[in-house]
Amino acid sequence: MIARVAKRGHLGPLVQLGPLTLYMFVFFVVPVGIFLLYSFWTVREWDVVRVWNLANYRQVFWSPVYPKLIVRSLSVGAVTAILSVVVVYPLAYTLAFRLEKYRDLILFLLIVSLFSNYVVRIYAWRSILSSNGLVNYILMGLGLAEGPRSYLMHTPWAVILVLLNVYIPFATLPIFSALLNIESELLDAASDLGAGALRTFWQVTLPLSMPGVVAAGIFIFLLSAGDFVTPELVGGINGMMIGNAVATQFGMVSNWPLGAAMVFSTILVFLLALAALLAARRGARLVRL
Amino acid sequence: MVGSSRLGDAATARPSGDEVRAPAAPIVRFQGITKHFGNVVALDNVTLEVQAGEFLSLLGPSGCGKTTLLRTCAGLGSPTRGRVYLESQDVTDWPAHRRPVNMVFQRWALFPHKTVAENVAFGLLMKHLPRAKIAEHVGGMLELVKMSGYEDRYPKQLSGGQAQRIALARALVLQPKVLLLDEPLGSLDLKLRKEMQIELINIHRRLGTTFIYVTHDQEEALTMSDRVVVMNKGMIVQDGSPAEIYQRPNSVFAAQFIGEAVLFRGRVVQLSGARCEVEADGQILRCQGRPDLCLGQDVVVCVRPERMRISTTFDASLDNHLEGRITNTIFKGPAVHYQVQVRGGPIVTVHQNLEQDVPLHLSGSAVHLGWSGANCMPLSG
Repeated sequence: MIARVAKRGHLGPLVQLGPLTLYMFVFFVVPVGIFLLYSFWTVREWDVVRVWNLANYRQVFWSPVYPKLIVRSLSVGAVTAILSVVVVYPLAYTLAFRLEKYRDLILFLLIVSLFSNYVVRIYAWRSILSSNGLVNYILMGLGLAEGPRSYLMHTPWAVILVLLNVYIPFATLPIFSALLNIESELLDAASDLGAGALRTFWQVTLPLSMPGVVAAGIFIFLLSAGDFVTPELVGGINGMMIGNAVATQFGMVSNWPLGAAMVFSTILVFLLALAALLAARRGARLVRL
Repeated sequence: MVGSSRLGDAATARPSGDEVRAPAAPIVRFQGITKHFGNVVALDNVTLEVQAGEFLSLLGPSGCGKTTLLRTCAGLGSPTRGRVYLESQDVTDWPAHRRPVNMVFQRWALFPHKTVAENVAFGLLMKHLPRAKIAEHVGGMLELVKMSGYEDRYPKQLSGGQAQRIALARALVLQPKVLLLDEPLGSLDLKLRKEMQIELINIHRRLGTTFIYVTHDQEEALTMSDRVVVMNKGMIVQDGSPAEIYQRPNSVFAAQFIGEAVLFRGRVVQLSGARCEVEADGQILRCQGRPDLCLGQDVVVCVRPERMRISTTFDASLDNHLEGRITNTIFKGPAVHYQVQVRGGPIVTVHQNLEQDVPLHLSGSAVHLGWSGANCMPLSG
C-alpha cells in the first residue's frame, strides 16, 4: 500500500499524519492497551499475577463504594460541564460582541490565570470554604448563621464549585471563538427581518455558537470527571471521586490491575450512559415526526 | 423627481400610465443625513427623496457612502445627524426590526443552519403567522424567484445565483414598502449577472415595490433604474434619469464615472446664449452653453466618444474638428474602438458602431474627428 501511494506521488498525507499517528500509537494506544490487559490480571504480594480473570471487575461492581464513586464522578463531570457553559456564555458573548476595546486585555487575563498553580488555587478555595474561612466569616458577621457552617466543604458541590472556577478559561475560549465566527451580516439580516435582540439570539446566535458550546462542554466534562486533586483537597468523604480511588490503587496500594479495572469500568458506564442518551434522543425525534 | 422613462429599447419600456402624476409624498426621505465613523465622514449632509414604486440606484465608487445611506434606511446604523422618513413618518429612532423595509445583502446572509424554506419563512415566523399561511407564502415566493422545489436544501448546497434568489425571496415575502439591495449581483459571473438584472427588473415591474439599489457598476445602474443618484465622498453629485446622467453629466466626476468621456481642459472665450466657445490646447471648441458660465472661467469640456465621427475626410457640417493619427484599433465585436493621438493633444478613444460592413481604418492612418456642438458640454470640474 505504501508503495502504491508513493508511486502516485500522494506521499503528502502519509508524511503529514505519520508522525502524529505514530506518537499517538506509542504514547497513548499502547499504554491504554497495556492497562486494559492489566485490568484482567490480579496481584499477590506486590507481584502481578498474569492470569486472566474478572476478579477486579467483580470487585469494582459488587462493591458498595466504587459504583457510587463512578456515578458521582460522571455526574460531577456532567454538572460541571453544563454549569460552566451556562456561566461562561454571557462572558464569551460580551467579549465577542460588546467589549471590542478590552477584548485583548480580558483574554490575556483569562490565559494568565492558567499559569498559576492549580493546586495552590484549590488550597485558596479551602481557605474560603472551610469552617473558619471567608464565607463563614461573612455569614456569621452578617448574623445569618449562629455557628460556622461546615457543609460548604467536603461535599461534591464544593468540588464542582472549585472546578468551575478553575476551568473558566477552558470553557470561555471555544464559545468565544464560535461566537466571533458568526458573520455580523447574519445578525443584521435577522434584525432586518423583524427579530428583536432576544429572538435574534435564540434563532441565530445560539444555534450557530452550539459547536463551540458542545466543544467546551465535552472538554470540561473530560477534565472534571477524571479529576482527583480537587476532590482530595475539598471533597472530603462525600466528595470523593473515582479518580481518588484510582490514584490510591496506583500509588499507596500498588494494585495496578484493580486501578485499571476501575478506569475501564468508569469508561464502560460512561459509554452505556451515552448510548442510552442517544437512543432516547433518536426515539424522541421519531415520536415528534 | 417624477418618474421618467429609461434609456433603452421598446422591450424594457414601461407600459403607459406612468406619465406625469400629481406629486405624491415620497415613500422615503433622507433629511440632512450625516454619518461619522470616528474621524471618517461617510455621509455629509445628504438629502434625498425616493418616490413610491421607482427603481432608484445609488451609484458611486467604493467608500462614497452609498451602502451607509442604504443601511441608514434599513435601520442598521443610526445617523450622527439627520432624520429618515418612511411614508412621512420619522423612523430615525426606530430599530431595524420595526421598520417595514427589507434588505438583500451583498453576500446574501442566508442562515446556514436553516433550510431554504426556513430562511424564507423567517420574517413571517417573526410576525407569528400561522404555519399554514407561512407555507403558502413561502411557496408562492419561491415560485416567483423560480426556486420551487428547493425548500429542504441548505444554503451551502446552493450556487451563487440560487442563493441570491433565496435572499431576494426572503426579503420580498414580507411585502416591504421598500426593498433595499446592497450590490446583490457583485459576486456573480457576467452572464448570470445579466440574467439576474432582467429578473430583478421583471420582479420590480410585477410587484411595484420601491427598489433602492446600491451598485458601483454604472452599466448596471443605467440598465435597471428609473433614476440614478451618483454619489462621491459622502455627497450626492448628480440625481436624474439614466439618460440625463449620461448625456448631461454635471461634473467631471459624473462624466468620467459613467460611460467614457473625452475631456479637454480649457477656458471660456465666448458666450452667446445657448452656445459657448472654449479655447483648449490652442483650439476653439464650440459647446453647449450654460447659464452660470462667465468669460475666462476654467472649464473641462466633455464629449462622449460615440458622438465623435471618425473619418479620413474633413466634414464641414460638424462644429468641432480635431486631426490625429490612429495609434491602436481595438475590435470589440459590434463596434470598434480607435485610439487616436490628437495632434498636439491627448490620446482619445473613439467608438464606431459597425451596423454595416464598413472598412476599418488602419493603424497609423491620419484621420479627422468631428462632432457637433450639441454633443459637447463644458463642466466645471
